[in-house]
Amino acid sequence: MTAAVTTILGIESSCDDTAAAVVRAQGDTGTILSSVVLGQADLHAAFGGVVPEIAARAHVEKLDHAVEAALAQAGVGLSGIDAIAVTSGPGLIGGVLSGVMLARGLAAATGKPLLGVNHLAGHALTPRLTDGLAFPYLMLLVSGGHCQFLIAHAADRFERLGGTIDDAPGEAFDKVAKLLGLPQPGGPPVEAEALHGDPSRFDFPRPLLDRPGCDLSFSGLKTAVLRERDALVAVQGGLTVQDRADLCAAFQAAVAAVLAEKSRRAVRVYSGLNPAAPAFAVAGGVAANTVLRTALRAVADSEGTAFVAPPLRLCTDNAAMIAWAGYERMRLGPTDDRTLTPRSRWPLDEDAAPMLGAGRRGAKA
Amino acid sequence: MRPDRLTLGFDTSAAHCAAALVLGDRALAAREETMATGQAERLMPLLAELLAEAGVGWPDIARIGVGTGPGNFTGTRIALAAARGLALGLGVPAVGVDLFAARALDLPRPLAVVEDARRGEVHVQVFGPDGPQPPRRMEPSGLAAILGPLPVTGSAAALAAAQTGGPVLAPVLPLAVAIARIAAAAPDGAPRPAPVYLRAADAAPPRSPPPAILP
Repeated sequence: MTAAVTTILGIESSCDDTAAAVVRAQGDTGTILSSVVLGQADLHAAFGGVVPEIAARAHVEKLDHAVEAALAQAGVGLSGIDAIAVTSGPGLIGGVLSGVMLARGLAAATGKPLLGVNHLAGHALTPRLTDGLAFPYLMLLVSGGHCQFLIAHAADRFERLGGTIDDAPGEAFDKVAKLLGLPQPGGPPVEAEALHGDPSRFDFPRPLLDRPGCDLSFSGLKTAVLRERDALVAVQGGLTVQDRADLCAAFQAAVAAVLAEKSRRAVRVYSGLNPAAPAFAVAGGVAANTVLRTALRAVADSEGTAFVAPPLRLCTDNAAMIAWAGYERMRLGPTDDRTLTPRSRWPLDEDAAPMLGAGRRGAKA
Repeated sequence: MRPDRLTLGFDTSAAHCAAALVLGDRALAAREETMATGQAERLMPLLAELLAEAGVGWPDIARIGVGTGPGNFTGTRIALAAARGLALGLGVPAVGVDLFAARALDLPRPLAVVEDARRGEVHVQVFGPDGPQPPRRMEPSGLAAILGPLPVTGSAAALAAAQTGGPVLAPVLPLAVAIARIAAAAPDGAPRPAPVYLRAADAAPPRSPPPAILP
């Protein structure tokens, strides 16, 4: 018997990208028929970070256009869609709300089933769409808003080994870029500057390396960069181009060292499961950084684990991953309507003990 | 205008979930539930109940009318996103109707609609003999100079009347009925509905300037 072909419309609006995609899936494989991402970087550039209200204002007026473009590019009409999957958290609630309401409207109008998808599950299941990974695999989610190690046991079962207790690395890159007068988002310009810099000139801290476990911290690193910058400015009245390159290189080296060592620990925990085909996958915008990616690959190589990094357009926020996660969710049977309630916080491992710094409303991710 | 155009109007721009189903001048069903939060959960079930009450289905809807505010930013976007999703799914137009036009429907002109804008301010639009003037946000103390003794309506009408001495008029129609009626009468080819904010997003550029880069 051949598995049924299922066509899913995915919708994503949890941060500063308005995205829609159509994925056609059959059995364990999926094909991306279209993946439209309408960015907002220009709207937020002047503010040195994503402004939630500005993001929300943009999403509500872009979402239906994104869906229309995705359907058109896929050559599929709404009647050819079998289900609609939408990010219902975690993320900036204004954008999530607009996406969920648009999807609810679409679902009511068309009578199609609607699935609420966890944005992090979207990232975490992407290696199955792109590389056909089998469970269990180890996942490092590393982006502007998230940083966590997860063992993906099943499409609905993730075990968190550790995560950041404060900033995400992408956030740290953005803040460092801001401190050094580089444009936003900060990842690409900091990486470019670091190419010409001397990473050994500044001895930045390696937070939490002295503690056991896989938790990470990046806010102190950003403060250390600020201190060195201010010390240089106090003496010279500014930064030389070389100062800036050296600061970027030393900062990036510290991030790489911390991520690599924590990854090594996570891989060893994961290896204890004796997976048949061990794999360490990385997703999120930070995975685009060549130095970090090289460091992570080296860890996987030395630990005898395959290293998987999906193409960048599927590492950063997109809706194809939401469509695919919706498909994986569907295959597990009927879903709970509560998944459709927009949530700003929605950890993948809800039953686990809250993380350090999780706060009253629960873990950040 | 096609009087037989079955139009569904709804609004969540303030502390309510309001919806109405209108055919011509007749409201087939209308509801308004007061709620400070929970509109995102309540809106779609409320619309389904309304349709069931009137004995119609989604494919019977010929047009969507949605309240565009000004009001609560998040609340306004809830109804708006749903309206754009419904319009796309049904293949029918969604028409945005702002709060001022809805409040002023069927009231005599000249008239001023005055709405609470929070933070000690009001939103005002004057509907003069020559048509509506652009809406604005201001402090209530300035109303007398602008409105004179014009009749006023809206959520801050009493506050306005205390300043201006003008008479207070009650809206003729429930909000969602007015929205549906205006949407039904709108010409074809209206732009997609967009929120009316009348207030910029709270956002400021970074305070500390970047360091000077030395040669």
